[in-house]
Amino acid sequence: MSVLKVEALTKRFADVLAVDDLSFSVEPGEIYGFLGGNGAGKTTTLRMVLDIIRPTSGRIEVLGGAPDRRNTAAIGFLPEERGLYGNMSAIDAITYFGRMKQMAASDAKAHGMELLKRFDLGDRAKAKISEMSKGMAQKVQLATAIVNRPRLLILDEPFSGLDPVNQQLLEDEIVGAAKGGAAVVFSTHVMQHAERLCDRILLLRKGKKRFEGTIDEARDQLPARIDAVAPAGITGIEGIAAANATADLGNGWSEYSLSLDPGVDAGDVLQRCTASGLPLRRFEERRATLHDVFVHLVGSAPDSSGELAR
Amino acid sequence: MIRNILLVAGREFRQVVQLKSFWLTLLLVPVALALGPILGDKLEDRDPAKVVVIDRAGGTTRAVLEQRFAFEHDQQVLRDLSRYVRRHGLEAADPQAAWAQHDRWYTPADVLAFRQAGGIDAALAKIAKVKAKDTPEFDPPSQDFTFVAPPPDLATADGEALQAGVDRALKAKDTAPEHADLVVLIGPKYPADPTVRLWANEQPKQAFVGPLNETLTADLRQRLLTANGLSPQSAAMVQSAAPALSVTTPPPGGGGKEALLVRSIVPLALAYILMMGLMLSGSWMLQGSIEERSKKLLESILACITPEELMYGKLLGALAIGLSMLTVWLGTGAAVAFATHGAIADLIRPALAPVTSPGAIATLIFFFIAGYVAISIIFVAIGAMADSMSEAQGYLMPVLLGILLPVTFLMQAIIAGNSGPMVQVLTWVPIWTPFAILARLGMGVPTLELVGAGAVLAVFIALEVIFLGRLFRASLLAQGQKPGLKQMIERLRPATE
Repeated sequence: MSVLKVEALTKRFADVLAVDDLSFSVEPGEIYGFLGGNGAGKTTTLRMVLDIIRPTSGRIEVLGGAPDRRNTAAIGFLPEERGLYGNMSAIDAITYFGRMKQMAASDAKAHGMELLKRFDLGDRAKAKISEMSKGMAQKVQLATAIVNRPRLLILDEPFSGLDPVNQQLLEDEIVGAAKGGAAVVFSTHVMQHAERLCDRILLLRKGKKRFEGTIDEARDQLPARIDAVAPAGITGIEGIAAANATADLGNGWSEYSLSLDPGVDAGDVLQRCTASGLPLRRFEERRATLHDVFVHLVGSAPDSSGELAR
Repeated sequence: MIRNILLVAGREFRQVVQLKSFWLTLLLVPVALALGPILGDKLEDRDPAKVVVIDRAGGTTRAVLEQRFAFEHDQQVLRDLSRYVRRHGLEAADPQAAWAQHDRWYTPADVLAFRQAGGIDAALAKIAKVKAKDTPEFDPPSQDFTFVAPPPDLATADGEALQAGVDRALKAKDTAPEHADLVVLIGPKYPADPTVRLWANEQPKQAFVGPLNETLTADLRQRLLTANGLSPQSAAMVQSAAPALSVTTPPPGGGGKEALLVRSIVPLALAYILMMGLMLSGSWMLQGSIEERSKKLLESILACITPEELMYGKLLGALAIGLSMLTVWLGTGAAVAFATHGAIADLIRPALAPVTSPGAIATLIFFFIAGYVAISIIFVAIGAMADSMSEAQGYLMPVLLGILLPVTFLMQAIIAGNSGPMVQVLTWVPIWTPFAILARLGMGVPTLELVGAGAVLAVFIALEVIFLGRLFRASLLAQGQKPGLKQMIERLRPATE
């Protein structure tokens, strides 16, 4: 049974269509990436799943039922914009959120302490949030999201603003939660995280689904490119859509950047070269990256840090 | 739902309790209330006014004046002692004594008998034998006037020298030997020339001018009567002819305006506490709401609980703060009354009279809680709309002024015993109803009015919960958007999401 199932979901704010006829499902133990640029509808969709806002039309099924606060015991949520009560201690904040998720205070406190120790914050459990560094507070916030051992973990831009150490910690927690059987849904515009973590991704553009599938399937959306060093005869090999000579290496050898016809495998091209006796000094396949697919499907370019401008 | 509401309320309560300003407020109010009477007592001028009588006629006028003011003082002592005896039921100390009889206006004969029986010291010695241990001591009234001998330079000075001497005496420090508050000059030709001059360093009190005038008038009439052939004894008899006034008064604290004021103490205090509590807890609650918005906490919270649970939790937290303050302040008052046994307890007993019946207690609880909820919802809605404390102040100030200004007028009207149109109108306007009803309880509120105003208030709260609840829900996630009037009205409509 799917942990999360969305069918024909639509959300309209006045004249703006934020989410347009969106359908997808997430299975237990799966890490599911929500990718899209600014205004793609990622946060709006997650808010509808959490019942913070209601859809204009469509259907959402969370853990077999309609979205409802009665599911909070099985849901973990880390919002994009994060913060905690400054006057609360770390353990009190975790316990408070645990109790809002229907946990007994003692269970929430015990698991909260366990998480703080795992996050190397055991000795700061009673420190006030306002006295902690930003990195520490982010770990506490993560603990508030997973204190109830959720079956559905929803993370909205979870890597935003995290330092590399906390990014790794979060990746470990996401993988750990999925291995434990939880369905993890996270939105991001950092392609490296999606490539490393996601079993499947969903690409959104202006609220509409542009792609859903595995990372491999996503990369196959664009034809692979091949860097080759060969004589001019390579341009006539079947399956090569275009051959762009990038450098003349002398003695009839050139460096080529080859584009393949859609659906053509690089191995088939290599075999045809060999069968036709075409000598090769270099033949290196370069598959399309998720970044390339994202730019192709969504139309926004990532910024210099590898993140799309929000 | 209840669990989440209690959870939010508990967090709100703990957050406020952690504030230093909460504890300062909690402690400062009882301290201020306790210090008030003490400081008032200390600041009260109990030193008698110094009176200098310059009698150039060389008669007995000065001595007569002294006797008259001594009589006035002893009569006051008798009256106060009589009220003290009646309040504490001490008549058994000496049933025949004038101070054990409360049905008359004390005459010179009563005062004379009182003096002859040993005055206040003898009376207190008799009272001490029958007085219970926890009965407070009698606090005799201080003397209002004391007569001192004129400074030598005034005794004989005339014209400008006299004026200069009087000015020096009136302007001299209280501790200076030549100081005087009042100077009376009886001219050398008195009584042929009945002019008597009076200098004072401030507007002279009626308590001085009245007896002075009566004494000099009696003296002049005595002389006139004897000059016209009446014997001094007959003249004195004419002068002393006076009705024997039989006076009936309610027991101390039990009648008329005094009783009304005493009965209104607790209701007025509750209205005041409601006002103070709302101002303070409203401000604290706003700080909490703004922290949730500014620290981006709301989305995390709303993923776990509904906006309604958050709103009701905040209201309940604010109410808990208000009731805590009420409990501490009233508890402090009760503890003080218990500790002091006497005067304060005696005051509180009649003060508590209007709030001791089950109906009155239910009325108090209903209007206090309803008042707290009705106003706190407004604060909660403001907190949901504002991103910063300064922005919140922009909404809060007009609301506070609109609520509290009429309430201050209302309380003054109640203290003055006025139940005119303003009080009636405020009783029926829901945001002022709790204050008006609480404050009026001591005066008595007709049952129909009580039930009607309570019903209107309940309907008002229900409407607030519906409309301000919508505003709260719609404003929660609209961060960084300062709503104009149009947006606010739109948010009052039913949610379409």
